[in-house]
Amino acid sequence: MPDKGSAAPAPDFWSVASGPGRSPEDAPEREGPASVPPGNPTVTALWEQFPDGVRRNRVCAGDEDVVYIDPERVTEILGWLHETPDQQYDHLADVTAVDYGGGRPIEVVYQLWSIPHRAALRVKCELPLDGLEIDSVTGIWVGADWLEREVYDLFGVNFRGHPDLRRILMPEKYAEGHPLRKDFPLRGRFSRAEQTRRALTQDPEDYYMPGEIGERTPQVVGSGADGGDEAVGGDVGGAGAEGGGDGL
Amino acid sequence: MGVDKPGALGVGTPAFLTTRLDFVVNWARRNSLWPMPFGTACCAIEMMASAASNFDLARFGMERMSFSPRQADVLICAGRVPYKLAPVLRRIWDQMMQPKWCISMGACASSGGVFDVYSMVQGIDTIVPVDVYIPGCPPRPEGLIYGLMMVQEKIRGESLSRHGELRAEDPLAVGRPRADEQEVADLTGPFGNSTHQNRVSGLVETGAIGRPEDRLP
Repeated sequence: MPDKGSAAPAPDFWSVASGPGRSPEDAPEREGPASVPPGNPTVTALWEQFPDGVRRNRVCAGDEDVVYIDPERVTEILGWLHETPDQQYDHLADVTAVDYGGGRPIEVVYQLWSIPHRAALRVKCELPLDGLEIDSVTGIWVGADWLEREVYDLFGVNFRGHPDLRRILMPEKYAEGHPLRKDFPLRGRFSRAEQTRRALTQDPEDYYMPGEIGERTPQVVGSGADGGDEAVGGDVGGAGAEGGGDGL
Repeated sequence: MGVDKPGALGVGTPAFLTTRLDFVVNWARRNSLWPMPFGTACCAIEMMASAASNFDLARFGMERMSFSPRQADVLICAGRVPYKLAPVLRRIWDQMMQPKWCISMGACASSGGVFDVYSMVQGIDTIVPVDVYIPGCPPRPEGLIYGLMMVQEKIRGESLSRHGELRAEDPLAVGRPRADEQEVADLTGPFGNSTHQNRVSGLVETGAIGRPEDRLP
């Protein structure tokens, strides 16, 4: 990464993940907005609009702006990015997460794209391992529904207010945890025999909600932020009732 | 051939009838094998290439890829099978009519291949009985055709009188693992690159961390 003449040496692309001494926690809680000159004017606007919500920002891989924000204010800040005429980040390209291992916080990553302004922005929230909860952004982008389910499935991040938070890739009754965590063993926690036995005792139709198969009325998802989980669980009955827990 | 009396040519003896009947039935079966394609990965591309004009599986009587298991004779499992798909594969196999055969195409279906991970079935023979394993990653169409011809050879040697023992299946075992627990556990022995696990250890305590430098001080 080219040196942009900043006072503090800017972390390069891999430095956050490369050693314990340079974990995000060791970084100062707030840096000035100009520590790395952002290429995207949204970064400066974010610093001005949310001086308490933005923690730091950096430029990654040459020209990719990354903003770290307070996880408690994620819906407020992302909603502002979505609604403000100067920003209009109307396309949520991806929601994912990164586990850097070693007990460091898990980062939830929102990759945004503004179709009118043709600008990309990456927003990250750091969640400590003992508090993996964050507000769902399905109220802002409906398309976050399955993406957040994937993050929940593979990392165990709970999205508050998600209308239908259950596993999406792993089997519904998967009981070995969240596979993309760094502390997850490569071959799972159970023996192969136990994994085979559990796999074959599953009903493939457990993976679906009522309405996703058959001719029943499809469920309306993504409409309400509160109480959606209980309503969904009640309709499933025995099929997916125990699907939410990781069983560990 | 059961020719026991000179001059009688064995006509009317059961051995002659059954062997001739075996010949006719096996000839009919092996030349009208309808494959049930269970393609999950790149092996399926080679399987499609085998069915296309260059290699033309129809020459071997596999004119029709039967996408319904109830009209299929040979299950071609082409590609990796995750545990989430295991009950589906088992259900398709259970839905196929007897007589039926199974081909495990490629390294992933046969042994898990490079995917020795939490989500992948380590060989579909833990789930369904397999007649022919085709190595390769993926096998070329010639490999698949050779495997199908091996199935045909196997059918040629089958006999109606011994059919029960050849194709014995326990109806109560539908939906259950085909291989017993120890057999699955012994598939490849201890795990290769993990010091924290082996296949029989069950739920293990692990401090596995992705990279050594990630360990907490």
